Amino acid sequence: MPEQPFEPGRAIAGTGAGGAMDLATTEAETLERSPGGPLGTGPADRPRSLWSDAWRDLRRNPVFVVSALVILFLVVISLWPSLIASGSPLQCDLAKAQEGSQPGAPFGYDGQGCNVYTRTVYGARTSVTVGVCATLGVALLGSVLGGLAGFFGGFWDSILSRITDVFFAIPVVLGGLVLLSVVTSNTVWPVIGFMVLLGWPQISRIARGSVITAKQNDYVQAARALGASHSRILLRHIAPNAVAPVIVVATIALGTFIALEATLSYLGVGLKPPSVSWGIDISAASPYIRNAPHALLWPSGALALTVLAFIMLGDAVRDALDPKLR
Amino acid sequence: MLLEVRDLHVEFVTRDGVAKAVNGVSYAVGEGETLAVLGESGSGKSVTAQAVMGILDTPPGRIGAGEILFQGRDLLKLKEEERRRIRGARMAMIFQDALSALNPVLSVGDQLGEMFVVHRGMSKKDARARAVELMDRVRIPGAAQRVRDYPHQFSGGMRQRIMIAMALALEPALVIADEPTTALDVTVQAQVMDLLAELQREFHMGLILITHDLGVVADVADRIAVMYAGRIVESAPVHDIYKAPAHPYTRGLLDSIPRLDQKGQELYAIKGLPPNLMNIPPGCAFNPRCPMAQDVCRTDEPPLYEVDRHRGSACHFWRDCVNG
Repeated sequence: MPEQPFEPGRAIAGTGAGGAMDLATTEAETLERSPGGPLGTGPADRPRSLWSDAWRDLRRNPVFVVSALVILFLVVISLWPSLIASGSPLQCDLAKAQEGSQPGAPFGYDGQGCNVYTRTVYGARTSVTVGVCATLGVALLGSVLGGLAGFFGGFWDSILSRITDVFFAIPVVLGGLVLLSVVTSNTVWPVIGFMVLLGWPQISRIARGSVITAKQNDYVQAARALGASHSRILLRHIAPNAVAPVIVVATIALGTFIALEATLSYLGVGLKPPSVSWGIDISAASPYIRNAPHALLWPSGALALTVLAFIMLGDAVRDALDPKLR
Repeated sequence: MLLEVRDLHVEFVTRDGVAKAVNGVSYAVGEGETLAVLGESGSGKSVTAQAVMGILDTPPGRIGAGEILFQGRDLLKLKEEERRRIRGARMAMIFQDALSALNPVLSVGDQLGEMFVVHRGMSKKDARARAVELMDRVRIPGAAQRVRDYPHQFSGGMRQRIMIAMALALEPALVIADEPTTALDVTVQAQVMDLLAELQREFHMGLILITHDLGVVADVADRIAVMYAGRIVESAPVHDIYKAPAHPYTRGLLDSIPRLDQKGQELYAIKGLPPNLMNIPPGCAFNPRCPMAQDVCRTDEPPLYEVDRHRGSACHFWRDCVNG
């Protein structure tokens, strides 16, 4: 079988069809393949797609492995904080205020006599919840609106583009101070809602752009020529080819949402005590930076590490999904 | 007649002005007939085909006037949903570059099966079985094993055969092949054309073959329509054209085919460039490049003169041209 040298894994398939195949075809196929085939690099026989290639790249990237492990750890402790921290983050003893590291409280106590270690561990839940929910909301809303606008174009596309311009003009912190100061509920949801409200235009622009790019591919026109409906073209042919940039930006945005939650909580408009959040702790500890710097350092460090992990993950994913960087 | 295009006008509105891509094209294809549409890049042959299929991008494209009668109905008067049902099922299209016309993230089985899911409402499993049948039919070796492979895992010739399988999946009455062999090696070109011709005979379908390869045309076409600057300049049965072209542009095309018996000599080329579609010259659009041009060609646009019952030429001097 002349095909064998080029496609070792197909040997069985090739032999099976051998009888039915005429010799001329076989020879021509061999000729076509011999200069290395259409995509002559690498082993030809493994099913390769953008996603499987990206996954292979990611597994070999130490930046991805480290950041993914950090994020995995964060997710685990935000689901089950009692795994590594005993006691409640709200159990505070003023008598122990500003005390340093000691058994049972490796990070010491803050100005209210609360265990900094326990509070830092429990604070992860807020950060991860806000980060993940805000990112999901932003990614869904932004890619649906941006995707539809990019696909259909015309009047609604212009309207959407102007609306995103308006949202880009709103300063995030100022917007947060104004909008969230009227909210009385002390849960993460108003904060998440605010982030989705201000964050979707960024994703929407990216989704719009990548849908417009994907729309111009020949296979989209081919799908139309074969009678596929709008929804089918959009969901089956365009979306899988346009989603990569959205994933990348959303991953990086996740880190910034976590930082934004801390900022808003620090400013007193995000979560308020008795909620547990790194932003609240940083805010409460900052007046005592001279006497009890540990109470400020640990939540700040946890915040910085978390944001860094998500941004590094986003970077690694971007590199893996960009074929030009390969 | 299976398909009749009458006086079709298509233009593209751009920032720099209106490009008149198709200016009054009329052609017809019968059942089981092959019409070759010939012309250089920008002559409007693909745009006409896109208008027939209904996949023209509008905007910027715009169908100004004309009728496209398919099985007796004017497609331009149908609703989009009705046209969508016709596309793929009753008329289909084969694209030039199968690598870019197949979706890279879907397996070929999924894409072939999609035809049956969209138009016949089949289950995914049945559709996959049909996909394997189709791949066998276009002679993909080991179809059952390869149905889960992705487009880039096939050779160029196999990809084009998969494209053909997709277009013929539902046995359409009309197939438009837009330069189906241009992206392929010469050896594979012949195979793909043979396969296409064979399947056409089998299904008795009308075929519009868009090409600029005169060699391909001679073997498979029944009629030829030569396009220039968005108009048909000559329309004739295939043998008449090769024997005695009735338009100087057709003559120029035939003279510029490399020939074995003229080895070592300079190859003939039509002088000048195709006209800018935003600024088509008055009179006959070909006059600046035409060796036979007279004053009348610069002022009067020639209609499609009847050369004989089956033949038309848009040249004021078609008689001189036919007689050499």
